[in-house]
Parts: sequence; structure tokens; C-alpha cells
Amino acid sequence: MSYNSTGGLQPSTSGGGGISGGGSGGGGVGGVGVRGWPSATSVSSSGKRIQKEMLELNTDPLTDCYAGPKGDNLYHWVSTIIGPQGSPYEGGIFFLDIIFPGDYPFKPPKVTFKTRIYHCNVDSAGNLNLEILKDGWSPALTISKVLVAIKSIITNADPYNPLNLNIAELYLTNRAKHDEIAAEWTRRFAK
Amino acid sequence: MATFKGGDGVFLSPGFRSAAAMAGWDEEALLHAALVVEDTPVRESRQHKQKRPRPLFKTPPSTNSSTRKRRSRRHPAASILPVVLQLDDDEEEQPAAKDLVAEKVNKETATIMVDEAKVTEKEGSLEEKESSKRVPCMDRLREELSCAICLDICFEPSTTPCGHSFCIKCLKRAADKCGKRCPKCRQLISNGRSCTVNTVLWNTIQLLFPDEVEVRKNKAGAPSPGCETRNRSSERRNNNTNINISRNQTRYGLRRVRTQVSQATEQDRSFRRRPSPSQSEDAALALRLQREEFMVAFQGTP
Repeated sequence: MSYNSTGGLQPSTSGGGGISGGGSGGGGVGGVGVRGWPSATSVSSSGKRIQKEMLELNTDPLTDCYAGPKGDNLYHWVSTIIGPQGSPYEGGIFFLDIIFPGDYPFKPPKVTFKTRIYHCNVDSAGNLNLEILKDGWSPALTISKVLVAIKSIITNADPYNPLNLNIAELYLTNRAKHDEIAAEWTRRFAK
Repeated sequence: MATFKGGDGVFLSPGFRSAAAMAGWDEEALLHAALVVEDTPVRESRQHKQKRPRPLFKTPPSTNSSTRKRRSRRHPAASILPVVLQLDDDEEEQPAAKDLVAEKVNKETATIMVDEAKVTEKEGSLEEKESSKRVPCMDRLREELSCAICLDICFEPSTTPCGHSFCIKCLKRAADKCGKRCPKCRQLISNGRSCTVNTVLWNTIQLLFPDEVEVRKNKAGAPSPGCETRNRSSERRNNNTNINISRNQTRYGLRRVRTQVSQATEQDRSFRRRPSPSQSEDAALALRLQREEFMVAFQGTP
């Protein structure tokens, strides 16, 4: 308790914060100092919009999906997606990182997989190849819509716009083998 | 004619009498009609008279004015607006061109005042309804009237050619930062800068969500007061229902109106006696201020 409070007051002693177990919180506070992120109490338009999305997700949660701020930084969220039933990812819990830019919603959030996943649209660093997170972004999109799109692409991969060519090729030539490997990865990394 | 005037004290205009004679009415019917006519508001009959050119008068103007005097005596002050009484006096003294202009302005303002009263009545009933039982589909309305960009109630909504509405500020920023496409359907928007506020939608939103609009207005006003003044004045000009004024008496909003009132009362006294300020309620005061503002506006462009 006392550790946390001192960590919050003095971001420079972030090492102490890390030891106390509040790694995510410490990171968030550090982010405010270093990268100029507004805190949760900011009244900027992007902050207000993110807060609204958070409230909406709390009152009306998505199925098999969770998303919320990581620590006290409104601009840094963590999300979990449960592998859709009937897919090789069934039963897996996939963690995602969501970072909102300062001029959100006019720029898309950055979403990355933190859990390894055998999927042709996700590269080894966890980057996601999703049109709506790039040029197809619209300020009318919300994070819940993005998560629905991610869930959809997990089930229905798009091998014609791959990030990992090998997986895409296998997906097109030997789907059974692809699904077997994907299920194996899910067992190993996502459970 | 003389019998009517002397006996019953019912005044009949010569035009009316000749028209009645042409229609073949007997004296009884005429008397009856005269009584009916007498019930109609004075202002209307007066207006009628004025449109007729003077040479057509069969009776000399002196009798005319005397009957007018009598009439004004007959009607108790309560039945007629003080405004009208005052005008009568003015005209009897000297029917100069200046008075005519003043009267015209006054008539216009009178009709405006009536309209306004209707509007405020409507508004009041709406508010009552709102407070007594919330509209059941209020949540859906809130959703429908929200801006997809800021997820708040649309503030000064602007509608794209494809039919989607956003806050005008949000739409402009989206056009600047994300390209000139509708955020909802990606159709091309001609130019983000040329968009205008959808007045009907904006008025509707102000009626349905007065609290939210008020909060946002105050927030928007804090950083740049100059811009806000411009906004407010233009808004008031556009806004026929004018729901802001009664609620929106904050800070210089009220101060602005007050300065206008002091000017207005100076000018008003020249042609109009103000009704006694028996109302002490704030709402009544706001309405009065609003009327005065209208008066000034109409005096500027007679």
C-alpha cells in the first residue's frame, strides 16, 4: 500500500514499484512522465471518448471478450479474447495490448497480441494485419468493434493478406495440418 | 346610423353599413352583426380602417375620432392590452408618419409576442412531460442523437450529404485528420470546412437534452469566451424556439441582454408604455428580456 503511494508520487523510483508487484501500474505512471500521456483524470476529448467506451464495455460486455485499462493509464488497455468455439484456437485465452494514440479516435489504436498465436495474419511480434486498424480506420469505430473484428479474423483467417507467409501457404494447401499446429500452439501458449 | 350610435352606443363603420345595405340586411340583422363585430379585437378593426384611403370616408374625421374616444372609454383597461390604449392616445393627438411607423413595429412585435408565448407554452408543456414521466425511448434517442466520433450527444450537429450527423467540430477534425470521407459509411464528403449546423436537429437535441447541452456549452465557453459570444448570438438568431435564454442566463449572457434592455427601454418609451412588471419570477423576467430583444431587433429593420 505504502509502496504504491510512493511509487505514484515519485515515478523516478519505478524500480521499487516493480518489486512491490504493481508492475503495470508503475509502467503506466512512468508512461505519463516520459511519453506525455494524459492521466485518467484528463478531460481531453480523446480521454473522454475512451472513458465512454470503457463505461459502455462495462455495462454491455462482449461475449468471450474483456477489455479495460491496464493500471491507471486510460490510454493503455489490456484485452483478453477467448478462442472461438469450433476453431483450432478453442479454449485458448489470448491477451492483447491496446494503446490509444493521443489523437484517438482520429487515429487508430495499436493492437498487438501478447499471447503467441499460430495465425497467418499475426506475425511473431504479435502485430495484427487488420485493415480497419490501418488505412481503413474510421473515427466512428470503437474498440468493441475492433475486438469483434479481431474475433472474426481469428475464426476466418485471411490468407491472401498474410503477415506470415508460411502459415498462409499451409492454410491454403493443407488446412488440416494448419489447424493441428494451431491447436497445438493454443495448448502450449494460451492455456 | 344616428340611432345606432346614440341609442345603443354601437358604432358601425360606413363601409360596413353600405356593405350591409347592398346585401339587403334589415336593421335588426345589422344591429346583431354590429354586436358580433364589436366582440372582435379592436386592433383588427382598426387595421382594417387604416387600409382604406381617407377620401372614402363619408363621415368627417372628427366624428370618427370621437367614436374612437368613446370606444376606448367603453372598454375597461383590463380587456385591452395597454399597448393598444397607448397607441390610441398617440394617434388622436397627431396621426403623423412617425406614429404609423411606430405602430407598425408595435404590431409586429405584438404578433411576435403572441408567437413567443405559444412557443414558451409548448416548451413548458414539453418540459413538464419530460420531468413527470421520462420518454420511454429516451435511451434510444440518446443513442440515435449521439455523435459517433465523440460518443456524446451531438453538439451543433452537421449532417453529411450521405445523411449521417456528427458534431460539427468532430466532423471537421475527422475530415482534416482522416480524409474527406464520412466516418460512418466512408462516402466522400465534399469539403469538411463547408459543413453547416443542422438547425432542426440541433434544436431538437437542445429540447431533449437541455442539461447535457448546457454542460457542454459551459465547457466550450471556458477556454475561448470571444468565440462563444459569437456562437451564442448567431445561435439565438437562428433559433426560433429560443430555449437558451431562459436557461442560459449565466454570466455575460445575462449581462449582454441587460445592456440591450437598457437601450431598448430608452427607445421603447417613445412609442410604447410597458405593462406593469407584476411578475417577479425569474422565468417571467427572462421572457420579458427576450421580448425586448426582439423589439430591438425589429426596430432595427422596420
